[in-house]
Amino acid sequence: MKMAATASRPSTATGSAASAAGLASGKASAMAQAPSLKQRWRGAGNLAPALLFLGLFFLAPLIGLLLRGVLEPVPGLGNYEQLFANSAYARVLFNTFSVAGLVTVFSLLLGFPLAWAITLVPRGWGRWILNIVLLSMWTSLLARTYSWLVLLQASGVINKALMAMGIIDQPLEMVHNLTGVVIGMSYIMIPFIVLPLQATMQAIDPMILQAGSICGASPWTNFFRVFLPLCRPGLASGGLMVFVMSLGYYVTPALLGGAQNMMLPEFIIQQVQSFLNWGLASAGAALLIVITLVLFYVYLKLQPESPVGASNAR
Amino acid sequence: MVLNKAATAIFFAGLLSVTGQAAMAAESVNFVSWGGSTQDAQKQAWADPFSKASGITVVQDGPTDYGKLKAMVESGNVQWDVVDVEADFALRAAAEGLLEPLDFKQIQRDKIDPRFVSDHGVGSFFFSFVLGYNEGKLGANKPQDWSALFDTKSFPGKRALYKWPSPGVLELALLADGVAADKLYPLDLDRAFKKLDTIKKDIVWWGGGAQSQQLLASGEASMGQFWNGRIHALQEDGAPVGVSWKQNLVMADILVVPKGSKNKDAAMKFLASASSAKGQADFSNLTAYAPVNIDSVARLDSTLAPNLPTAYAKDQITLDFAYWAKNGPAIATRWNEWLVK
Repeated sequence: MKMAATASRPSTATGSAASAAGLASGKASAMAQAPSLKQRWRGAGNLAPALLFLGLFFLAPLIGLLLRGVLEPVPGLGNYEQLFANSAYARVLFNTFSVAGLVTVFSLLLGFPLAWAITLVPRGWGRWILNIVLLSMWTSLLARTYSWLVLLQASGVINKALMAMGIIDQPLEMVHNLTGVVIGMSYIMIPFIVLPLQATMQAIDPMILQAGSICGASPWTNFFRVFLPLCRPGLASGGLMVFVMSLGYYVTPALLGGAQNMMLPEFIIQQVQSFLNWGLASAGAALLIVITLVLFYVYLKLQPESPVGASNAR
Repeated sequence: MVLNKAATAIFFAGLLSVTGQAAMAAESVNFVSWGGSTQDAQKQAWADPFSKASGITVVQDGPTDYGKLKAMVESGNVQWDVVDVEADFALRAAAEGLLEPLDFKQIQRDKIDPRFVSDHGVGSFFFSFVLGYNEGKLGANKPQDWSALFDTKSFPGKRALYKWPSPGVLELALLADGVAADKLYPLDLDRAFKKLDTIKKDIVWWGGGAQSQQLLASGEASMGQFWNGRIHALQEDGAPVGVSWKQNLVMADILVVPKGSKNKDAAMKFLASASSAKGQADFSNLTAYAPVNIDSVARLDSTLAPNLPTAYAKDQITLDFAYWAKNGPAIATRWNEWLVK
C-alpha cells in the first residue's frame, strides 16, 4: 500500500514540473500551512546529483529529439501535418493504444489470481512462486517471444495437440495477428502486475475481511465491496505501468504480430533506421509522449487516496 | 523505449568523442556489418588476411544501424570506418552527404560489376530474392515463378514475404501480374498493391533471415520470397525445401565509408582488399552469396557455384536501387497505408 502510494507522489512533485507541481503546491498551500511546505522541501538539495544526471542524460537529449520534430527537414509543423493528414498513421496510433489496453486488461485478469494465490499460500511457498515469476523476467525477452512462436504457430505444439485430440480440424491462427501480440505481451507483462499487487494484498489486514463477514457480508459482497477496493492502488499502479510499457513495446509485436497490427514504435523505428526521416519519427514519438502524459494525468486525478487514509478518515 | 535508445545513441556519440581521441596509436579500421554468420565470414575472408598482410587491425563492430551512422556523421564524431549497408540506402546516404567518396586509385573499379559500384560505395556481396517452397507442404506440385504466390488454389498455404518497404515485394507482384521485366520502373504502385490485395490475408511477413527460415522449414508458410543464401543453408541442413530461380530479383549489400571517418586511408585499403577477386571469392565460398568482382567467378567452389545468383544471370532482374533511393520514403508511406488498411 505504501509502495503504491509513494509511487505516484514523487512524480507529481518532480515529474512534469511545470503543470503538475504547480497544481500540487497550490493544493498543498490551500490545505496546509506554509511551514509544512517548507518541511516538505527540506533536504531537496540532496536530490541535485540525481536531478542533474537525469537532466543531462535524459531530459536534454529528449528535448533535443523532440525539437527535431519541428525543425527537420524544414522548420514548421509539416511533420505533424503529415501525421494527422494520413489515415494510416491514425490507424497505427489506434493499434498502439488498443493493443496496450488489451494487454493491460488481460494481464490484470491473469495477474490478480496469481498475486492472490501468492498471498494466500503459506509464506515459504509464496516466496517460491514469487521467485518463479521473477525468474521469467530474467530470461531473454527474445527467447521468450520465440518460444511463444513455437507454441502458437500453425504447426506448433498447441495446434498439433488440439488437432490430435480432434477438437479442431483446421489449425487456429494464433500468431502473426492481434491474438499473438496480446498473448505474448500479456505473458511478459504479468510480473509487473503481480509485484505491486501482491505487495498491496500482503498489506491488507485479514481482520478487515473477517469483520466484513461478521457484519453479514456474503463472500461475494466481501470480495467485491471490501477486498477489491482495498486492492485498487495495486491494480491501478500495476495497470498503469503495464499500459505505459506496452505503448513502447517493439520486439514482441514485431515477431508475433502481423504487419497490419503495426504499432507506433515500429513506425518510429522504420522512419529512424530505414529512411533517416528523424523529423517525422520525432513527431510520432512526441505524440506518443503527449498522449501518455495526458493519460497519466487522468490516472492521477482518478486515483483515490490510499485505502489506509480513506478508511482512517471514515 | 525507442526514443530513449536514439537519444542515448546521440549522447554516447558525444561522450565517445572525448574518450575516443586518446586511443589512436596503431592503424586500425572499424568494420561494421549485420552480425551473425555473414559478419563471421567477412572477418574470415577479408579482415583476417588483410590484417596479416598490411598490419592494420580490423575491429569488428555492429550491427549496422542507419540511425547511428547518421548521428555519428552529424555529431562530427565518426567511430565507424567501413559499414555494410543495403544498396538503396548507400545511394540515399550518398545523396544526403553522409558518405566519403571512395578512392578508386586503390579500389579497382573496372573489375567490379557496374551494377554494384558507385562513387560512394563498392559492393560487399549480392544476392537474389528467390521463390522458396516447402516440398512437404506442396508435394509434387512445384511452383515455377512469382505468379504461383498469387495462385492460392493450386498452391495452398501462407506466403512469407519480406516485411520492410524495400526493393522486392512490389516488383514480384508486378511481375506476377504480367508486367515485363524491362517495364517495371517506375513502379505502378496502384497495380502492385491491387495484386497484393488478392493474397493479403495469406501473407506472413518476415523481418530477418532466421525468421524466414523458421517460417519455411516449419511449414508455417508453404512458399515465399527468400534470400538465396538462407534457402541454400536450409537445403544444406536437409530441410525439404525447394527453390525456383525464375525471375530472381537481385539485391546487394554495399560497403561505404561514413563522412569524417578517422581512418579513411586504411578504410580504402581495406575496401580494395575486400572487393578484390580473392576477397570476394573467399567470402562467397563461405556464405553462398555472390561476388561483385567479375574475376571471382572462376575462383568459386565448383559444388557451390550452381547455388549462386551468378549461375542464374539469364533469368535475372536487378532491382533498381537508384529508383528506391529516391522514392523509398514516398513508397513507404503508401506501403504503411496499405498494410494497416
